[in-house]
Amino acid sequence: MDYRFVEHVGEVEVELDASTEAGVFEAAHDALVELIATEAGTEDVTHDIQLEGSDRALLLVDWLNELVFLAEVAHFVPRQVRNMELSDRGLRATVAGHRGDPLHLVKAVTLSRLAFERLDDVWHARVVLDV
Amino acid sequence: MKTATTASIHRHLVQLDECIWELPVGAHPGMRVPARIYADDAIVASLRDDLALEQLANVATLPGIVGFALAMPDIHQGYGFPVGAVCATELPDGVISPGGVGYDINCGVRLLTLDVRREELGQRLAPLMTELSRSIPSGTGRGGRLVLKDPLFQRVLREGSSVVVTELGLGTDADVLHTESGGCLQGGDPSHVSSRALERGHDQLGTLGAGNHFIELQRVAQILDPVAAAAFGLSEGQVTALIHTGSRGFGHQVCTDHVRRMLLYLPHAPFTLPDRQLACAPATTAEGREYFAAMACAANFAWANRQVIAHRVRQAVESILGGDHARRVHQVYDVAHNVAKEEEHLGRPVLVQRKGATRAFGPSRSGEFPGDFAAVGQPVFIPGSMGTASWVLAGADGSEERSFGTTCHGAGRALSRTQARRRVTGGELRRQLEADGIEVRCGSAKGLAEEAPFAYKDVDRVVDVVDRVGIARKVARLVPIGVVKG
Repeated sequence: MDYRFVEHVGEVEVELDASTEAGVFEAAHDALVELIATEAGTEDVTHDIQLEGSDRALLLVDWLNELVFLAEVAHFVPRQVRNMELSDRGLRATVAGHRGDPLHLVKAVTLSRLAFERLDDVWHARVVLDV
Repeated sequence: MKTATTASIHRHLVQLDECIWELPVGAHPGMRVPARIYADDAIVASLRDDLALEQLANVATLPGIVGFALAMPDIHQGYGFPVGAVCATELPDGVISPGGVGYDINCGVRLLTLDVRREELGQRLAPLMTELSRSIPSGTGRGGRLVLKDPLFQRVLREGSSVVVTELGLGTDADVLHTESGGCLQGGDPSHVSSRALERGHDQLGTLGAGNHFIELQRVAQILDPVAAAAFGLSEGQVTALIHTGSRGFGHQVCTDHVRRMLLYLPHAPFTLPDRQLACAPATTAEGREYFAAMACAANFAWANRQVIAHRVRQAVESILGGDHARRVHQVYDVAHNVAKEEEHLGRPVLVQRKGATRAFGPSRSGEFPGDFAAVGQPVFIPGSMGTASWVLAGADGSEERSFGTTCHGAGRALSRTQARRRVTGGELRRQLEADGIEVRCGSAKGLAEEAPFAYKDVDRVVDVVDRVGIARKVARLVPIGVVKG
């Protein structure tokens, strides 16, 4: 499970690789954590996330948008994905973290250059974040 | 990020004049109109390795597009539209694209003047900067923000910045008058805004956001057009304050919601698109009308946000310099650079969609901006990057024929954020800026490095192009003396 930030002059582009589809979503979470997490915080919290959709690429967009939303309105700093379940209908997961002051860096998750595909034995995805 | 398509598009690029380039119809599949780029040789050369021109060619495929898909000299790769782009689709049935406007609806800039010169400010600059950073949070802090409940929040979404002035006393009627569209895009309807967007936005008025948002104190370093400068209230040596921010999470969510709605429309549309991010619908469809209504709410939110922040600037001036100086903080103007507006150009009604581009009406359209500027044209503000100059321009009548009344919006990025961080650390950059006499307030060293001056195009060069092409005229050059970075 791996993520890397790719050169993009205007925004932040992330490439994600994992041996499973669920691993891609976890890698995306980790990439977002690198962008917005701060140390300062109060209590540990968890959020249960349930999203519908059969298009994996759009589900990835929704997943990251949900984390951005929680960061803004719940002051949630994500730290770890637990119990990720992917099905044809969507995604369920629990995300653990703490209540704090995440950076309001990511405005939204775009559809630009969006990809989610299997290449050889690796699930590969790409997403561009508006910052 | 050069691709085979990018290289092919560059081969089709034709230079028509010193600063005018064109991609003819046929340079890229599906183009309905040519694409025109206002740029000099160096700026065009810098585009060879990114997708900006391909994105501009994609814009030229939008149904109902008229004239040209246009790019300003601050063009760079974005998402869907390149940044620095403008197009017009013919009403009533031309399309409107949420991704074309962008997620930060009505990101824009507001310029205020203070009644002090830099040398009069003296040692009070540092405490003034500290007070600004304390009272205007980037979004991670909780101080300084305005929390609104209904019905006031709904009124802001419908009526814009005037509500902040009349109901909360945060500013003056003159501020509202000196705001593009009077601080209100008509047609805002909160019933087309999701509860998620409302939840994100209800406590974000008065916040800057992060990334390239900022408040900068400046000194008027050079006046190039004394008549326009006088009309704008600018004099050499004067201290000014430039606010750059937008609609925050509210606008981001509005765009996210409506891009997804447009995606549902596309399978039924009588057209296809080369990029999902351009998802759009004719302005007369339910999808198009409801997006416009929601976008107008977000535009009004952004104007209200900059109004609150302007008031905080006045409060900071009062705290450090005294009430008399605060009362004489004057708003020059406020312009949007991510918005879609119904306008008339070349005799027909069109929907002008500006993505990182600024309206720049000349004197011939003086009925659409305050009378103080009637003889000289609408003010336009072009922020540079930290440590470099910003420009005040005046809209020129040439913009009508050449760019749907539009000019550039900034310097335009030249390097990615990671490239910038590789070349300088936040600490190093802070020391460099402070050595140049610029006070810096920024909570994120990483964020500071990403906005380094060398990460942007040369703003003087960008402004030079729009002046030479005749779409906006140089009025004054401003240099930074302090920056609060979001």
